Amino acid sequence: MVCALVFVQFAVAQDVARLERVATLIRENKTVEAERQLATILHSKPNEPVGLNLLGTIRAKQGRLDEAEALFVRAVVNDPRYSGARMNLAYVYLQKREPAKAVVQLTEVLTIDPANAEAKVVLGDAYLANGNPDDAEKQYLDALDGRLDNAGALLGLAQISRLKGELKEVALYLNRIGTLTANSDSPEFLYKVATLALQAGMFDAAKASLENALKLRPDEPAYLLALGIAWLRKGDLFEAEKIFRHLLQLQPTSEQAQIHLGYVLLNQKKYDEARLWLEKSARSASPMPEVFYYLGLVAQEQNDDAKAIALFEKAVQKLPNYPHARIALGSSYIKLRNYPRAKEELETAVKLDPEEPTAHYNLALLYARLKDPARAQEEMKIVEKLKAKGGSDGVVVLPPNSSPRNP
Amino acid sequence: MKSLLILLAIFALNGNGVIFEEVPPQTSKITWVHNNAHSADRQLPETVGAGCAFVDYDNDGWLDVYFVNSGRSDFFTPTPPLKNALYRNNHDGTFTDVTDKAGVAVGKFGMGVAAADFDGDGFVDLYVTNYGPNILYRNNGNGTFTDVTDKAGVAAPGWSTCATWFDFDNDGKLDLFVSSFVFYDKSQNPLCTDATLQRRYYCVPRLFKPTPSRLFRNNGNGTFTDVSKQSGIADSPGKSFGAVATDVNNDGLMDLFVANDTMPNFLFLNKGAGKFEEIGLAAGVAYGEAGRPRSGMGVDAADYDGDGWQDLFVANIDHEFFSLYHNDKELIFTDQPGEVAPSTHLLSGWGLKFFDYDNDGDPDLFLVNGHPDDMIESRIARVRYKEPLLLFENTGKSFKDVSATSGAVFGREFSGRGMAVGDFDNDGDLDVLVSNNGERPLLLRNQGGNKNNWVGLNLVATKSNPAAVGAVITWQAGGVKRTRLRTGGGSYLSSHDPREVLGLGTATKIDSIEIRWPSGTIDRLNNVAINKYVKVVEGVGQNR
Repeated sequence: MVCALVFVQFAVAQDVARLERVATLIRENKTVEAERQLATILHSKPNEPVGLNLLGTIRAKQGRLDEAEALFVRAVVNDPRYSGARMNLAYVYLQKREPAKAVVQLTEVLTIDPANAEAKVVLGDAYLANGNPDDAEKQYLDALDGRLDNAGALLGLAQISRLKGELKEVALYLNRIGTLTANSDSPEFLYKVATLALQAGMFDAAKASLENALKLRPDEPAYLLALGIAWLRKGDLFEAEKIFRHLLQLQPTSEQAQIHLGYVLLNQKKYDEARLWLEKSARSASPMPEVFYYLGLVAQEQNDDAKAIALFEKAVQKLPNYPHARIALGSSYIKLRNYPRAKEELETAVKLDPEEPTAHYNLALLYARLKDPARAQEEMKIVEKLKAKGGSDGVVVLPPNSSPRNP
Repeated sequence: MKSLLILLAIFALNGNGVIFEEVPPQTSKITWVHNNAHSADRQLPETVGAGCAFVDYDNDGWLDVYFVNSGRSDFFTPTPPLKNALYRNNHDGTFTDVTDKAGVAVGKFGMGVAAADFDGDGFVDLYVTNYGPNILYRNNGNGTFTDVTDKAGVAAPGWSTCATWFDFDNDGKLDLFVSSFVFYDKSQNPLCTDATLQRRYYCVPRLFKPTPSRLFRNNGNGTFTDVSKQSGIADSPGKSFGAVATDVNNDGLMDLFVANDTMPNFLFLNKGAGKFEEIGLAAGVAYGEAGRPRSGMGVDAADYDGDGWQDLFVANIDHEFFSLYHNDKELIFTDQPGEVAPSTHLLSGWGLKFFDYDNDGDPDLFLVNGHPDDMIESRIARVRYKEPLLLFENTGKSFKDVSATSGAVFGREFSGRGMAVGDFDNDGDLDVLVSNNGERPLLLRNQGGNKNNWVGLNLVATKSNPAAVGAVITWQAGGVKRTRLRTGGGSYLSSHDPREVLGLGTATKIDSIEIRWPSGTIDRLNNVAINKYVKVVEGVGQNR
């Protein structure tokens, strides 16, 4: 009996050791060997929860989310108190954009382990993704427990502040996160921080996070794209150009990289090359309206007004409420001295975006040409007022959603 | 031969083989150095000067040079006093300092100089602008000058920058436009600094109040009448730097294009009867895209594409791009900088001039650059305090940057400000004089521009204004007909060779030259010898 017990204990210890070896292999990205060893373990014990969890992890890493989900579910069924598998399942649900399912799993995790700060942060993320910022905030604050040392919780709170338009708070949170994550080993987290910083207009913070993320995962296209956008938003066209060119070396067909490089070159008034990249982007299966707008600006600058108008019209067809394309149309019609059409387009633009100074400037120009100095001055006063409020330069604008594109 | 080979190896020549070569002070004997009065207080006048001129003060047929210096002001008391400088051309590539003998040292905080024979006595006079009252020096015709400012009534106190001689009422006398910059005295110097620098930098002119520029009508008796108000010029207070007199609508009346810093530029349309109307907004030359005023500094005008209409150029500050306004007729302009834009993205431009450096007949473009803030490198990435010169070759409808192949001087950087154009060595190609802020000036000799043929005209007016500003010269050679309007002013704080050099390209004879003087007189010249300067007297024609 004692012998049998010793054998069982030895066997269990041997299993644990083998599973630990597998876990190490996964961490070291040696998934082929990890999977081979797991196959042996699961062959003898098909419902071994830890083995299922580890195989699920490999599948998740491979992007095979449905298979990963099935494996984590089997692990949880076989061991309902296995909080690690539930956490992984929650991550898969979040990746699959099924936050409600993630909430269920994370709530279970917190029932098993009420002090699990990571679970609280991820539950906060799930609530946030599910459109429930109040519950999310509660989870983040619980995770912090009065201390400002949980970067994930702080990032969540920063996101909530951004949703509320409290940019000062966003800045405070991001600054603190910057300190905590200076040596972070999670590129995904750094990228998440950068994304938020970009959205909050904190381009230096975004840049710093992305540069750290790229140290951990060099040449990751998403990070490079975001870094290029951060430089662009900082106003450094030369650095942005370098990054987008590098990205295009890695991904020559990246529509995002093409349009961004085209945009940067357009702003540097390097029209011939800008047109080349924008035309490449326009040849994609479903080109964005902005591509036609930018190509129209290039044509306008190169004195091809007919082509410019055709391109702006195409942008407007794709996105009828595109104020900048309307302004550009107005500007082209002014150039062609078709003042009634110019007025029509510019007035539409003002209706779409009354705070865009470029529309008012073009109206001022139009009224000045129509020998109506009083109205021209009125429009210039609006321009001055909007500029004093910090309105956009309006020279060339980023796409109308005015946020970096899918970084 | 060996040195030529080395030169060719280092600098691949541009297509036409023309380079600009510095004539060093050891050779030219021009030892004068601009003192910018640079101080920890960063008083704004310190950084915007100064100008220079090519001027034949002694009528010997050789261009002399004049430089403007800083001097005594409410914030600067130099000991010993600083001087402007007049150097006489010795006809052998060297110059002699004749400042004291000529009596043109000034000693005020100088900005620019505009040279012209305002009294029509045949000798060129000098109008020197200052931070503080300006000075009009009448040339006595014996190598000396007399300060006639008070009698003439053109002191224009305040802070003047560019001055432009032209004849706005076509009465045959040279009138004077004086650009006024901001309202300023030493008590008006706010603390401009940032947390990074923790010291002052030069304030952006946006912080200061604009002032109206001045227009003086020449009464023909040594006096002028300030017509700023009745002409409409004073209705538009500005922060004016460069100005050029040109005729944008071909009506025979000279208009004024004035660059403003951090304010919309002005295009003063001459309506006749002594009235001007400011039409910058409607003309499309006032603002940058989106209605944002830029930092206009140097300006010039020329018909660069040969369509018969005067186009305009303005240099702005870094990141604003320089503007090349194409004249689309009917008083409408479109900014079409072409290759000039990317080349000037990070630069701040001052002196500039359209001129035909290679004598192929079309106007090219020379730009002098430098950032006004000596601490800019600590504040803005990639922007330098000292910046390179640029040369653009006219390609017919636009310009090509040929700086890299036009001489070693284009590989260097300067705190450039003023720039004058003139043929100081009388070899038939136009040379360049650059005045640098707080540095010695640069005399650049055009080497190779005279490989193409040319004719030089020395216009002597009898009924028109003495500088023949507004004259239209048409010439035909090698089957190509070209036209040039003689503009007034242009560049920044500087004054140019009064002669006109007509480029003929490879044509070995000139078929015809016609001069339509501002008075309406037309002179047609035939059988003009090429590669020489000829005197043309209004109503008489070529004076053999």
